[in-house]
Amino acid sequence: MTLRKVWLVFRKDWLEIRRNWQILMPIVAVPIFVSVLLPTVIVLLPNLTPSTAVSAQNLESIMKNLPSNVLNEISTFTAQQALIYLLTLYFLAPLFLVIPVMASSVIASDSFAGEKERKTLEALLATPLSDAELFIGKVLVAFIPAVIITFASFAVYSTMVDVLALPLFSGKILLPNTIWMIMIFGLSPILSLTSIGLTVTISAKVKGFREAQQISVILLAPILALVFGQVSGTLFLGPSILLALTGAFALVDLLVFYAGVKAFKREEILSKPT
Amino acid sequence: MSLNKVATLLNQPAQTLGYTNPLGLSRMFSIVTEGLTRKFNAFTAVNHLSLEISEGEVFGLLGPNGAGKTTTLRMLACLISPTEGSATIAGYDIRSEPLKVRQSVGILTENPSLYERLTAYENMDFFAEAYGLTESSERHSRIKELLEFFELWDRRNDKVATFSKGMKQKLAIVRATVHNPPILFLDEPTAGLDPESAKEIRDLMASLSQHEKRTILLCTHHLEDAEKLCNRVTIMSKGKTVIIGTPEELREETTGQPTIHIILRAINKKIIDAIERSGHAKTVTTNAADSSLAVTVDDAKTATPEIIRSIVHAEGSILSVNILRPSLEEAYLKLIREDPK
Repeated sequence: MTLRKVWLVFRKDWLEIRRNWQILMPIVAVPIFVSVLLPTVIVLLPNLTPSTAVSAQNLESIMKNLPSNVLNEISTFTAQQALIYLLTLYFLAPLFLVIPVMASSVIASDSFAGEKERKTLEALLATPLSDAELFIGKVLVAFIPAVIITFASFAVYSTMVDVLALPLFSGKILLPNTIWMIMIFGLSPILSLTSIGLTVTISAKVKGFREAQQISVILLAPILALVFGQVSGTLFLGPSILLALTGAFALVDLLVFYAGVKAFKREEILSKPT
Repeated sequence: MSLNKVATLLNQPAQTLGYTNPLGLSRMFSIVTEGLTRKFNAFTAVNHLSLEISEGEVFGLLGPNGAGKTTTLRMLACLISPTEGSATIAGYDIRSEPLKVRQSVGILTENPSLYERLTAYENMDFFAEAYGLTESSERHSRIKELLEFFELWDRRNDKVATFSKGMKQKLAIVRATVHNPPILFLDEPTAGLDPESAKEIRDLMASLSQHEKRTILLCTHHLEDAEKLCNRVTIMSKGKTVIIGTPEELREETTGQPTIHIILRAINKKIIDAIERSGHAKTVTTNAADSSLAVTVDDAKTATPEIIRSIVHAEGSILSVNILRPSLEEAYLKLIREDPK
């Protein structure tokens, strides 16, 4: 396997993706929603419409499941400050694990299944590119944009939160903090690699793009479980849990890639009817 | 397209990307298959196919839809593996050295298999690099040469989606030849082309074979292509080889003796007796309406002058003489209809 050839597959696919709005739309739309619209609504809405302002009773029900260190952080805050702080810094955090998975899902699902549908796969498989070069090239073309979009979303989100919350917190900068740094630069890319590796493997096995995407949606379930776990208070993604998850998924990635390359068989791809 | 243009285009050595004879032996055969078989569950697509195709030979795989031609091509291009049997391509085993086989082969698939959102140049640049042309300048000059040859250079920056079917087919042929492979697998290369473009492709294939000694395995329904280009053909039916030989041998094998068609000013018994006495005629059939004779013979080359001489001796006046040869198409149809399975 040579990196030059992996990069060649990446370049070719990226050129195609850049010119396909059907693929680009979900990559762009989800991050804009999470990084721009959500913080705007969370921070500004209570100020604009007093009826949505949080009461002490509402806050109590949210706070009852929080760990003590978080409760200490918000102990001096007003109810409104505490709610904004919790929502923007804790409850929305796992959504940034969803961004790279959703952003890469369309590209990864399209990787082989899309080529099969467009009848371009046979010529690609006839080239002397090795199975590993093709597989990793296809993984990278989903992974690199997903990670870039996640980092960019985080930068936008941090800026939005800090700018919007600045008057409320007397100039205190809320983001970035340690938890977010571990999540964005550690767990998020590692987790998206797992998802992409599995989706590309599925894409090579199924008959078409839709089938690949339907199956890959299932991969979102464990990430959504983290989101709901964090919101409900049953799980708190602190630095130690995030680091442990990053390490665990790094090992899973190794397994997924090893199994993915082994399971990638040109033979099977062209033997299956479309 | 002039033949000079073809010669200029091809005036370069075959690409040798990873293409070295592993044993250092002279290659007599570029493609050898032995008992090559491919089954899809209970269905046998290719059934014990054994072929030996020499370097520089144009070999035709003929047969109706579902005969196993494309499956054969896919096995030889290492796209699917055989269930049984073996094959070597340019000296490389298709099972143990698939990457080297792929380097040695240029393939035109059933579909053009081009990326429609990429331009013609981007498509060719990708495939050229994938096949090992690492130098950008080398790729550029090769692509330019081929696109100019097929009169597509002016459209190089247009997306392939805007191309006609014929243009896509030409571009797919450019892709198959961009790395100068010693062996070409071409699946219906003239499909969808206008007569002029089809002739260009045939001229190119003839030149690749004759001047460059490139081996071409041609899958086709177009018997005209096979008749004009192929040194040998095999007719496949239901995965099996029905017959292998030169187009001429196939015609003779399947349609029997050649027929000499002679038109006279007038026919009489003296002339017919003279033909029968010549010792060359197998059967003589007369048609009084147009004063013509159909004489079947064993060997048209030696029999024709003798039969003409006997007619002249019998004071017959000959208006025309034609040796009727069955076309490959007739031979093909006869073989396919006669195939017991």
